[in-house]
Amino acid sequence: MTELEQLSARALAAAIRGKKISSLEATRAAIERLAAAHELTNCTLSLEAEEALAAAKACDAAIAAGKPAGPLAGVPLAHKDMFDRKGKIASWGARIRAEAPATQDATVIARYKAAGALQIAALHLTEFAFGPTGHNYVLGHARNPWDPTRITGGSSAGTAAAVAYGAIPAGLGSDTGGSLRLPAAACGVCSIKPTWGRVPRAGAMPLAPALDTIGVIARHMEDLALMLGLLAGPDPRDAAASTLPVPDYLARLDDPVRGLRLGIDAAVVGSAHPDVQGLLQRVTEILEKQGLVTAACRFPDWQTLDHLVQLTQMPDCSAAHAAYLRSRPNDYGPQVRARLELGHFIGAVDHLTALRARGIYLRRTLEETFKDIDIAILPIFADPVPTIAELDIGGGPTLQAAMARVVKYTRPINYLGLPTLALPVPRAGGLPNGIQLIGRPYAEAQLLAVGRAYQREVPPEVARPLA
Amino acid sequence: MPEQTIDPQPEPAAEAGPAAGLEMPPERRRAAKAHAALLAETAAKVAAGLPLSADVDDFRRILAAEARP
Repeated sequence: MTELEQLSARALAAAIRGKKISSLEATRAAIERLAAAHELTNCTLSLEAEEALAAAKACDAAIAAGKPAGPLAGVPLAHKDMFDRKGKIASWGARIRAEAPATQDATVIARYKAAGALQIAALHLTEFAFGPTGHNYVLGHARNPWDPTRITGGSSAGTAAAVAYGAIPAGLGSDTGGSLRLPAAACGVCSIKPTWGRVPRAGAMPLAPALDTIGVIARHMEDLALMLGLLAGPDPRDAAASTLPVPDYLARLDDPVRGLRLGIDAAVVGSAHPDVQGLLQRVTEILEKQGLVTAACRFPDWQTLDHLVQLTQMPDCSAAHAAYLRSRPNDYGPQVRARLELGHFIGAVDHLTALRARGIYLRRTLEETFKDIDIAILPIFADPVPTIAELDIGGGPTLQAAMARVVKYTRPINYLGLPTLALPVPRAGGLPNGIQLIGRPYAEAQLLAVGRAYQREVPPEVARPLA
Repeated sequence: MPEQTIDPQPEPAAEAGPAAGLEMPPERRRAAKAHAALLAETAAKVAAGLPLSADVDDFRRILAAEARP
């Protein structure tokens, strides 16, 4: 294991700016590591080595000429393949993608480019980002870098696997029902799912726009802070993008966390596997050691939230695919096809009821659940990370129940639109898993400060298969 | 004597609505209907407690109003 693969993007950028390493060296090394990661995990959909190496040379030349360098100048990154890039067709993890190449970059890609970042590959995702496990029946399943028989989690499977392996320090993902948090947990890395609307979605594949949230997967908290700061902010191309000022997340990483109140809903947590409850307890103890104070809290009825998010999501997803589901049904994988069909059976009145009730449930959560706490803690997976075979159920009769168990703790949070930080649990030599910290609207800086304190006790790791 | 006729069984109504044209095996169609019915029960309970003034844009307004950056 080399030092390079353990560096944060921020540290690597500083080394490139300071000419301690060239972007070309860093990029060449990242391409080699990504190839190894791909062999183990199937994390890459297209490697763009020549283009990336040319961009790295140009970056080194600009730095040598004394030109101003952005905060990510020359840093090799790679992202979930669902973002428009001018002149390319993003696969969306699917077979049905015969549209014309994009005419402009997605806003998040443009903002990374403006910061000087390079893109070395497009990474694996569940078909149409619609699945929480990393199974992809048309492009091949993703495999966990700690144990290739296990799932990576999804849908941002490739980003989590590549980051965990140390091929790249960070990358983009998206989260409609858990797609940043589940892969982060399964692969033992961190992610930030910001408040809905905090990061613009223009040029990103829409899954369920009422819920879709773009965020970052990384090993180091400072990278989540740096990158969220670069991505967030208003965008004339996305009417739903928030116009609220963007805090300096990096500057606030060391905000004091002592005295923050951490809420635990024992009833909701109680339906997790005992091992997962034990891991959550362990993380709580670590956060208490950092000065947080635990308190009881109570979410609105969890099953009602879970049903409301499905009533919101399923018709939203199905509407976009209605024509293709009729004209090319066999070009979909069985799991995504069955899930896309479901939305057609949900009535418009029920869908609108869920949307009309959303503000009321958010208000109730803030006034009751968060009345005496600052942050809530929940599991991400209800169970230890499953094997690929256990969840290889295609579109069969157990699909809805199995998927419901996987996203039990994640998708209700999308209905509430609240920001969520995923943290890996201490592994103690075993497989990874994760917990999520949920904050009040736009409280990302507070979550990241808690994450920073946590990483003092549980430092980032690079994944390799366990013996 | 008039010829006795047996009323024919009514034809099952052809399925209408957005799912009508989907190519789905019967068991998957049944499962999808059952799941949608379960969700509809929750929607009905929630709707019963919603004020007429509840608006789909409330969610965005509250997110912004409650911001804690």
